[in-house]
Amino acid sequence: MTTELVVNGEARRVHADPMTPLARVLREELHLRGTKAACGEGFCGSCTVFVDDDAVASCLVPLGMAEGRSVRTVESLADPAGALSPLQQAMKDNDAVQCGMCFPGMLMSLTALLEANPAPERRDVHEALVGNICRCTGYDRIVDAALTAARAATGTKEEDAS
Amino acid sequence: MTVQTAPELYQPTSLDDAVERLAIAGPDAAPIAGATWIMRSPSRGESFLREYVSLARIEELRRIEDDGASLTIGAAVTHARLAGALAGYPALEALRQAASASANPSVRRQATVGGNLCTRDFAAADLVPALLSLSARVILAGPAGTTTAPLSRFLATRDTQPQGTVLAHVSVPLAPVVSAHARLTLRRAGDYPVAIVSVSAALDEAGVVGSATVAVGSVEPVARLWPELASAMTGRPLDADAAVRTARELAGAFTPRTSVEADDWYRLQVLPTVVGRAVRALERRGRAGRA
Repeated sequence: MTTELVVNGEARRVHADPMTPLARVLREELHLRGTKAACGEGFCGSCTVFVDDDAVASCLVPLGMAEGRSVRTVESLADPAGALSPLQQAMKDNDAVQCGMCFPGMLMSLTALLEANPAPERRDVHEALVGNICRCTGYDRIVDAALTAARAATGTKEEDAS
Repeated sequence: MTVQTAPELYQPTSLDDAVERLAIAGPDAAPIAGATWIMRSPSRGESFLREYVSLARIEELRRIEDDGASLTIGAAVTHARLAGALAGYPALEALRQAASASANPSVRRQATVGGNLCTRDFAAADLVPALLSLSARVILAGPAGTTTAPLSRFLATRDTQPQGTVLAHVSVPLAPVVSAHARLTLRRAGDYPVAIVSVSAALDEAGVVGSATVAVGSVEPVARLWPELASAMTGRPLDADAAVRTARELAGAFTPRTSVEADDWYRLQVLPTVVGRAVRALERRGRAGRA
């Protein structure tokens, strides 16, 4: 079966059964391997992508239900010329990345948070990451980096936001 | 019956079309909306059915409508959207809390009201006790037309509904009550709750409970009302400590379940504490309402 969807701004046609998880299609048909397929149950968050305006677990999205919709993966965050997004740059600057398995999902969940709430409190970041499991970092640097990115974007100084 | 061939997905844009398709397809088909439970079928060792009929593109099932007397929520409304829409309804705080605390943010953006109420094997569904405590009714569309029923009756009969039945809407009375939802998870991140308690109460000006409704989820395989505890709370001021004591005395009426998260005895052990948390939240809301 052929399904049409828009992936990272580009119209794509894929050939898979309609109940195939979107995460598998992104990785195996479209070779967008930034999206990680780990738990397959919506618990770990590593496969988080945007479908239209919602950051969702792509392992739980049947391909057929994404037909005609817009999908944004982690590959969409950086500038095509190579410049990282401010959030990605903040992760790099805060030395927040370790093995990288959870990171695409972390970035997409945090992108959703910052789009909805450009000036989050630390607690907001914690709540946004409830569904993103990391077994390397202990989360603190990730949270710090997200707050750094938010402050940079809003022009808020750290002492004003605390 | 399940089959091993690739399942089909039918995506109607009208409720009538969905009902007709499901009625024709028979027991090898089922509605699908958020897909968060059905997509995990393989990991539970279950096969997909032959066909799924999506409710996601039916506009009327994605609406939330307030007619002044009740709030009607479409079956395809997601938890996240419901939580956002309930910000202006303090009486429905139990439902807002349930919709905003279940699972994790990405699942809440996808999982729907209808899925939460219709997934028979999901004992820890948060919206079910919350809606029970608020005396919600379900509106069912089927080949013979539309019917309504109290949610409690639907839960007892959902496995025997005629083929083609779709839970289309949930109607929640906009009554002058205070409500609260308490859930106990063993960890914070995405755990299913061990026990859930939702409570609503109508209070007089002195804070005395005129009527109360208590619902318990996740303790038994299906959420249910706890009328004995509600009766014991009625006619006196809200008192969380007294509610905990009464819950301890009455908890033997439950037949708890064992699952990977917790044993049966543990669910009963913690249930009175969760009751106390819910009633304490009611006390705070009751005081705030009288201030």
